[in-house]
Amino acid sequence: MPAQPAQDPITSKSLSFHLLLWSFLLIVSLAWALYDEMYGLRPWRSYQKRFIEAYSSYLQREIPKQQQAEQSIRNSPEYQKLEAQWKAAEAAVAPRLSEIDTEIARINRRLGVLTPVFQEARGRVAALVYQLEIASADDRQSRLREVEQAKQQTYSLSLPGLHGDGTEQAQLSYTDLEREFNRLKDRKAALVAERAAVLAEADALRRQLESYFSEKLAGLTGQQLQGLLRAVNNLDVRIRQIHNESAGLVDRCQSCHIGMDLALVPPNLTLTKADLNLEGNPDAPFSSHPNIELLRLHDPDRDPAKALERIGCSPCHGGNGRATSSVIKGHGRHKYWLWPLYYRENFEAGCQMCHAQDMVLDYAPVLNRGKELYRERGCVGCHRFEGFDNEAEQLLSARQRIRQLEQQKREYEQEIARLQRRADDPATPLEVARQLNERAASLPVVMSQLDAEIEQLQQRTVSLMREEKKVGPSLKEVRVKLKKEWIPYWLANTHEFRPDTKMPQFRLEESEIQAISAFIWQMGLPGPLEKQPRGDPARGKRLFETRGCLGCHSIGEGANKIGGDFAANLSRVGEKANYDYLVRWIYNPRQRTRPYDPIAKKDLGPEDYARHGKPFVFDLKNSRSPDGKHELVVMLPTVMPSLRLTWQEARDIASYLITLRRSDANYPPAPYIDDPNLRERGRELVKFYGCAGCHEIATLEEEGRIGTELTNEGSKPVDRLDFALLTHNAKRGILPDGSPSPRGKWYDHKGFFEQKLANPAIFDQGKYKPDPRDRLRMPKPNLTPADINALTTFLLGSVDPQVPNDMLYRPEGARKDIQDGWWIITKYNCMGCHQIRVGQRSALQDLPQYQGPNADKLPPPLFGAGARLNPRWLARFLENPALSETDIHRNGVRNYLDIRMPTFYLSDNEIRKLVRFFEALSAQERPFIPPVIQPLTEAERTMARDLFTHPAAPCLRCHATGDPAHDRNATAPNFLLAGERLRPPWTQRWLLDPARMIPGTAMPSGLFRREGDRWVFAGPLPASLRNYRGDHAELLVRYMFLMTPAEQRLLISRSPRATGASTGGSE
Amino acid sequence: MKAHVLLILLSAILAFGSLGCGKKEETPTTAPETPAAGKTVDPATAGTISGIVKFTGTPPPPVRLRMDADAACARLHRGPVTVREVETGANGGLARVVVYVKEGLEGYTFPPATEAIELDQEGCMYQPRVLAVRTGQPIEIVNSDDTTHNIHPIPKVNREWNRSQPPRGEKIVDSFARQEVAIPVKCNIHPWMQAYIAVIAHPYFQVTGEAGTFELKNLPPGTYTLEAWHEKLGTTTQQVTLGPNETKTVEFVFQGS
Repeated sequence: MPAQPAQDPITSKSLSFHLLLWSFLLIVSLAWALYDEMYGLRPWRSYQKRFIEAYSSYLQREIPKQQQAEQSIRNSPEYQKLEAQWKAAEAAVAPRLSEIDTEIARINRRLGVLTPVFQEARGRVAALVYQLEIASADDRQSRLREVEQAKQQTYSLSLPGLHGDGTEQAQLSYTDLEREFNRLKDRKAALVAERAAVLAEADALRRQLESYFSEKLAGLTGQQLQGLLRAVNNLDVRIRQIHNESAGLVDRCQSCHIGMDLALVPPNLTLTKADLNLEGNPDAPFSSHPNIELLRLHDPDRDPAKALERIGCSPCHGGNGRATSSVIKGHGRHKYWLWPLYYRENFEAGCQMCHAQDMVLDYAPVLNRGKELYRERGCVGCHRFEGFDNEAEQLLSARQRIRQLEQQKREYEQEIARLQRRADDPATPLEVARQLNERAASLPVVMSQLDAEIEQLQQRTVSLMREEKKVGPSLKEVRVKLKKEWIPYWLANTHEFRPDTKMPQFRLEESEIQAISAFIWQMGLPGPLEKQPRGDPARGKRLFETRGCLGCHSIGEGANKIGGDFAANLSRVGEKANYDYLVRWIYNPRQRTRPYDPIAKKDLGPEDYARHGKPFVFDLKNSRSPDGKHELVVMLPTVMPSLRLTWQEARDIASYLITLRRSDANYPPAPYIDDPNLRERGRELVKFYGCAGCHEIATLEEEGRIGTELTNEGSKPVDRLDFALLTHNAKRGILPDGSPSPRGKWYDHKGFFEQKLANPAIFDQGKYKPDPRDRLRMPKPNLTPADINALTTFLLGSVDPQVPNDMLYRPEGARKDIQDGWWIITKYNCMGCHQIRVGQRSALQDLPQYQGPNADKLPPPLFGAGARLNPRWLARFLENPALSETDIHRNGVRNYLDIRMPTFYLSDNEIRKLVRFFEALSAQERPFIPPVIQPLTEAERTMARDLFTHPAAPCLRCHATGDPAHDRNATAPNFLLAGERLRPPWTQRWLLDPARMIPGTAMPSGLFRREGDRWVFAGPLPASLRNYRGDHAELLVRYMFLMTPAEQRLLISRSPRATGASTGGSE
Repeated sequence: MKAHVLLILLSAILAFGSLGCGKKEETPTTAPETPAAGKTVDPATAGTISGIVKFTGTPPPPVRLRMDADAACARLHRGPVTVREVETGANGGLARVVVYVKEGLEGYTFPPATEAIELDQEGCMYQPRVLAVRTGQPIEIVNSDDTTHNIHPIPKVNREWNRSQPPRGEKIVDSFARQEVAIPVKCNIHPWMQAYIAVIAHPYFQVTGEAGTFELKNLPPGTYTLEAWHEKLGTTTQQVTLGPNETKTVEFVFQGS
């Protein structure tokens, strides 16, 4: 038997199962790979498909609606009328048009036959002429003959007639052909020109019709929507990216946020989730950009698509623009990405990177609020931030620059002496000596230019000393201002006493409070302070409510609170303040008890002045030190202005304020305050806690800031933010109070800032720190959640710029002036009383006393103030709003208002910036050159006077004239001052339609009606004006701007009495 | 066997291919939705709410208007001009109160009011002082005086405007689009002039006369919040439930100080 061969596995063992299994696995993995390729790694594919579906069904719904709207516009009487006019105009010219067209057609036919023959003949003649030109003298005659012959040769044509359909047989020579050709061409050109002229009117009407249609139709036409629908249905599913090579920007956000693609959703079509029937769906990123205007603003041509193309998405919104493989990665909420997408409530942080130098931005209210709080709440007292409250730094650099220039001058002096010595040296050649002398003579000129610069810098230092303010009150005044026992209570219970105060609550132990109180009290100035008689509290209350205090201050606790939140809530001021001091403070808040000498570093008293034989007088006009050598600080570093009240009014208001107290107010005695042994410990603590960042404190005037700089805090790597023992919980999404965080993990900048601002002490949680000085020093600000969010937004955006420098907003010229101006506007809270930004509300506007018809009693909105006011007048007004050195207890312009424009004691620099700001906001050229006003003829003067004083003309019933009897009831400014106060072009526009400039103004519109190309007063005219052919509004403006004192007297003597303010009195 | 596997593989690839490349069928166009028309009042079941607005207490003394500064105004009056802001008639009826249905008519639609209502300026006073109109109803403002007036409504939800009107000048016609009770109207030139325009979105309102009575007819059955508004005394409201064909009587009382 043959030996059985060993079993051959190939034949004996089936591998089919293995094969089947492995092929199955292979198929599965292939399927998986394909799926991943198609969808897993490309989530945007399914987003785009869902978008196509939702958007096309939206368009299909929209198209019929829009078509209907179009139809209803076409059916509207206005449209029909315009259309009829257009048709009529077309019909009127139709006969002539058809004549022209027939004639042109005939000319064309005739030319059609003539042209080829003429061109051929011309070619022949031209060739012969060429031969003639190159011919030798012998040949010349014969060539000339040939040309003549060619010109004489006749051509036989059958030309279509010009007056009918027939043709005419013609025998034409070359010359005839040329003549006929040119004649036909000229005639045709004339006809074409006539055709355009005949059609001009009809064309204008057609354009009018089209523009009427497009104005009335909101949104796109049905046809345009059809186009979009086609585009969407044929959409190519692909990565959609913005690539700005120079900025190193690649943003693929639109791959999912496809509704942001302006080619698919045009700027005038807004797409919301509701439009797409996806309301409430958290995973439908298809809305169009909610603020197209914002995109427009970022392009010089106001083209949103170009702005998007240049800036992309991630520079504003954060996130990882390149990532496409998942939502989390795209949004950059990933531990390996430093710039996560800003949360919805913080998205304005994105503005800050480029707009760090802007204090106020349109469209960024949260960020604006954050910056406002950063300054108002005194964050800047401890934490430096580029651009904020840097007067001290500017002062330092100005002084340094002065020293440099002085040094340079000394060097020039030496140089001059050296040059002259060399020039006088007999060894120096004559020519060289002459040059040396010339140079020596020119140096003093250079030096005198340096003198001018030094003088300006010195002015600047004076300005800066005035501009430097502190957030909190000066603590040098505590002895004359406060009740002693209140100080320790306040330090311990800051927010119980005044919940919305700027002062944060420090974590202090009782012994620390005692030492600090003692130090502050003992360092306070002893006086002098004048005694004041009591005033009338009832009158004081009325004054407090009407003079404008509530533009900054609030009053009332809890739900009863009204007024602005810029300055302190005065509900309990009577518990802490000394009446005599309050009177002086209200009369002039800038009044110091003693002036501060920054060189001698001490507060000067009467004794220091007496030493130089001078009276103890210090104010802005007497601001030099008693020895006359340098400037003193003569004003308290507060932004509170003077309302130019009388002493009696100040007493009345103080008497009212002193009644504002809780009946049970009672503070324990604090005998330790006078203990001199506590003083040194107190000084240490005051320095340690950085009190001098916000307060002026004797001996600590030049203390620096104690906190970390926050200019680029948003760029700090998250592991350098000290989450301390909360790190673990932050990563797990557990809040310091143990509750789960609504957004999960909070181990990021946002989480840190929010928790730190809510309560800085939590980052000490769990640590053993028996010595209070080892604890975190940051005090607790009492912020509302909205305020915390605003500050968080500000800090999140405060990053080291990630984009090239040229993308940052560092404007020059007018835009820079606007930027600079906002810092001053917000510094002094101008917007507490005035509306400056269109759409912004002032604090006063929301008060009950200014509602409805009483809105007339509000200060004027300042929209367009730069176009309205003469800048030199404005500068004078800002410097002295009373516009008078003697009669100061009044408004210079609106004397009829109870509310008063205060005196801010602005520095020259601030006034200049404000004037420029208003001019720049209104796009006014600088410097202002008053337009030339055409002089009035005597007749015109009479006419204007007659119109102003005509019983039908209401002008002088409201406007003041400067005549006290008349002005008692006036309710509008004296326009006889227009010549110096206003600008003529603005005044004319104002007369025609004031509500356009200031909605809600008391000045009525419709005073003039249009008649041809001029404006005519819309009422019965005085006899003298009936035959006047000029523009009435222009006449009045010229009259106002050419006002003379004599004319003013004449006008006043004839003016009717003002009718305002005549209600009241019952019987 | 092999063929099998290949077949499976092929079909799998094909299946995926077709899935990947397949284009979605175009969705059929859907008909445009027309907004559902609101309910209309059925006169067969409609009822009436009538009643009176009363004032208790002493009305404040009349206010003296000093219009002597404008001769054109004073000329039309003999003696001093006064206005009673709280005007009462017999039985304590309170005049110039706007009574209207504030809530309960949501969902109804009413034909628009096209008839113009006149607001006259005569003797530098508005006539009438309190005016009630429908939303969108034209208001014709007439100047019967020999002086220029300006008409300045100061609404909260509607649009504010301020136009001058020359002596016996052309009528100004305007309307307000949204319900607002009531819009103060003033003349800045003659600040004593005061009128109020109540704008109401439906026809169920009335301004009381001296008797203080009102009647709201043709009201569909339902539960309503009625409000009475007075320029000085503010507002009071009442709930009224009206059955089919029912007539209800309501009394509003304003308390004087």
